[in-house]
Amino acid sequence: MVVRQYNEELKYLEKLTPYSWRIKKGFQPNMNVEGIFYVNQTLEKLMLDELRNACRPGMVGGFLPGVKQIANVAALPGIVGKSVGLPDVHSGYGFAIGNMAAFDVNDPKSIVSPGGVGFDINCGVRLLRTNLFLEDVLPVKEQLAQSLFDHIPVGVGSKGIIPMNAKDLEEALEMGMDWSLREGYIWAEDKEHCEEYGRMLNADPSKVSVRAKKRGLPQLGTLGAGNHYAEIQVVEEIYDKWAACKMGIEEKGQICVMIHSGSRGFGHQVATDALVQMEKAMKRDNIETNDRQLACARIHSTEGQDYLKSMAAAANFAWVNRSSMTFLSRQAFAKQFNMAPDDLDMHVIYDVSHNIAKIEEHIVDGKQKTLLVHRKGSTRAFPPHHPLIPVDYQLTGQPVLIGGTMGTCSYVLTGTEQGMLETFGSTCHGAGRALSRAKSRRNLDYMQVLRKMEGMGISIRVASPKLVMEEAPESYKNVTDVVNTCHAAGISKKCIKLKPIAVIKG
Amino acid sequence: MTSKRLLNALEYPEVDSFNIKDDTSFRKIVVWLEKNKIKRAPYPLEPINSPEWRKTYEKYKKFLGCPENITNDEESLQWLAGYAVQEEYSKKKDVLKKHVAEETATKNIPDIKTENPLDTLDFYGNDFTDGINKVAKLLNITPHPNPTITLKAVKHIVTNRLTQHALKNPDKYITKGTPFPLQDADLGFDLSDPVLKQAAKILRMLYIQDLRHLQTKANELIVAVQNITANPKTDTRLGKVGF
Repeated sequence: MVVRQYNEELKYLEKLTPYSWRIKKGFQPNMNVEGIFYVNQTLEKLMLDELRNACRPGMVGGFLPGVKQIANVAALPGIVGKSVGLPDVHSGYGFAIGNMAAFDVNDPKSIVSPGGVGFDINCGVRLLRTNLFLEDVLPVKEQLAQSLFDHIPVGVGSKGIIPMNAKDLEEALEMGMDWSLREGYIWAEDKEHCEEYGRMLNADPSKVSVRAKKRGLPQLGTLGAGNHYAEIQVVEEIYDKWAACKMGIEEKGQICVMIHSGSRGFGHQVATDALVQMEKAMKRDNIETNDRQLACARIHSTEGQDYLKSMAAAANFAWVNRSSMTFLSRQAFAKQFNMAPDDLDMHVIYDVSHNIAKIEEHIVDGKQKTLLVHRKGSTRAFPPHHPLIPVDYQLTGQPVLIGGTMGTCSYVLTGTEQGMLETFGSTCHGAGRALSRAKSRRNLDYMQVLRKMEGMGISIRVASPKLVMEEAPESYKNVTDVVNTCHAAGISKKCIKLKPIAVIKG
Repeated sequence: MTSKRLLNALEYPEVDSFNIKDDTSFRKIVVWLEKNKIKRAPYPLEPINSPEWRKTYEKYKKFLGCPENITNDEESLQWLAGYAVQEEYSKKKDVLKKHVAEETATKNIPDIKTENPLDTLDFYGNDFTDGINKVAKLLNITPHPNPTITLKAVKHIVTNRLTQHALKNPDKYITKGTPFPLQDADLGFDLSDPVLKQAAKILRMLYIQDLRHLQTKANELIVAVQNITANPKTDTRLGKVGF
């Protein structure tokens, strides 16, 4: 990292619009393209403070500030357009979380980087609707929260209740949600309303290590820990009546279920294995990066291809995982209300991935190009009429599910044409950390956090209460700030706001 | 017996008297097929009583591409006869096709002696236009200046909405839903001509409707397969909540 005074650093940053900043070349060495990040006034302050702190003498260790990470990504071989920081951007391993970057597949030098996907491969959000309203649920809220907690295993080291053997796992890795369909855990419409139709076709379980499979097998159908959760939410605000109606959301007060989970230990192991391979490939192919954590390999190298195939298998794992939890949530509701899930209209509104790399077609400088788009802590947000979004959303644009932090609100946005042009059809993914996990643990008390939730009328079930401070709303940026920035910058459009009434957490 | 039928079709003269079990009879047929129908052997298959005949015959079979697992006489005769029929057919293909076409054509011509009143109808005359517009009005269809297009619209409504089944189960045929604000819809591209733009929007809607039908059919297919394969299981004993 170049060591400069904070004031010197600022010369490389330029405010383009009230909601976006440019990172000029030279901010970090060897930048191939410029960087851009989207913030409003509040988020801007957080972003620049982080940089200022990093510039203070004696600041070593920990992750680089988010702006620096965005610029380092801009220096990777084969990157096209811009290295984009979304409003919820914060430092992560190599790539900042909330960073998207696209690489030209037809450029032999282009790379794929596990750091650009993240360790929780295909971590994502799924939203189910119901035809229930707040008044139907309030009297049985506690029972329902308990029932969900009983059905969905949570926490570090939790184990799923859907029996699986090694053969089932192999098939699930290859087939994704088609496996869940075949076994009858989900409905045909679920597949229709899922990114990629719930299956990455290039998945190859044989490229996945035995260790990853061993870690993954018992964890299928579990929520996990960290920022993952299942929430019962109520529609608080509808901004776009027509789009909400296409999603089956008619009125305020309607009840939804949000599931935020990923590929558990399986994805983590796939990423770890790949990083080891990539360090070797970097030496062999003389790939230079500004940061050791940006380990990568050429897309067309064996290591690159192996990673993409095993990443796809991990993505399929995550979809099966969310599908299994969909099945379990439907059961929990069906038991509580003594009605079939069908009659409760528990359809999947949509399912998004916010940690993934995908091959997509985009227009760059007026030309159509095939790109490998890395989205880490960033959600795909395709505009209306895009061929890859479900027919039901052809007129509204792809639904984008933004999970808030425990106890705060969540949003549904829709993709826009402007987002397609500016950010390769990407937008934010959630609140984004403001405090590190360690700092949250030091500064907050878990009893207080839990009591505050209760005070807000939220039923909460937690497997490991002592880790709850890490996920307290205070540890995160304000999700409303994040979403409003995306809306104001035009890269996606607000549609629905949801508020939790019950939370299940690891 | 299949071979017999094939030989019959090939007009083998001794079709009624041949005996497959009899070696001479078999050799005779093979020679006849080659000489008259197949005509491919690079060497003669005669005389049939030569001690080398079997050897030559095996070579010949291999030459024609007879599968190796066909070893007994009965099967190989059937294969040879089939081969000969194929040869015959490809030689006379055009004639045979024409024959078939003529056959079906003559069968399909309806035997109408009286004149069809529709043939003499003036589709653009005032009588017809007035009539069709009246029907359109009954069905709540805006008439098109071209009466034949109005007729098409009438036909569409009658066949889709006024069949017995549709009248009995109107819910299945009349699509319900919230009306869509077409004017506010984003077309996805720009056209300067407002009329053209409107037309493009309507095409978009029709395309999306087609896609919806396709997706519904795909879903129905999945559900049909699920009925056979689905067997969801849960075992709560396996569950473990983490720390």
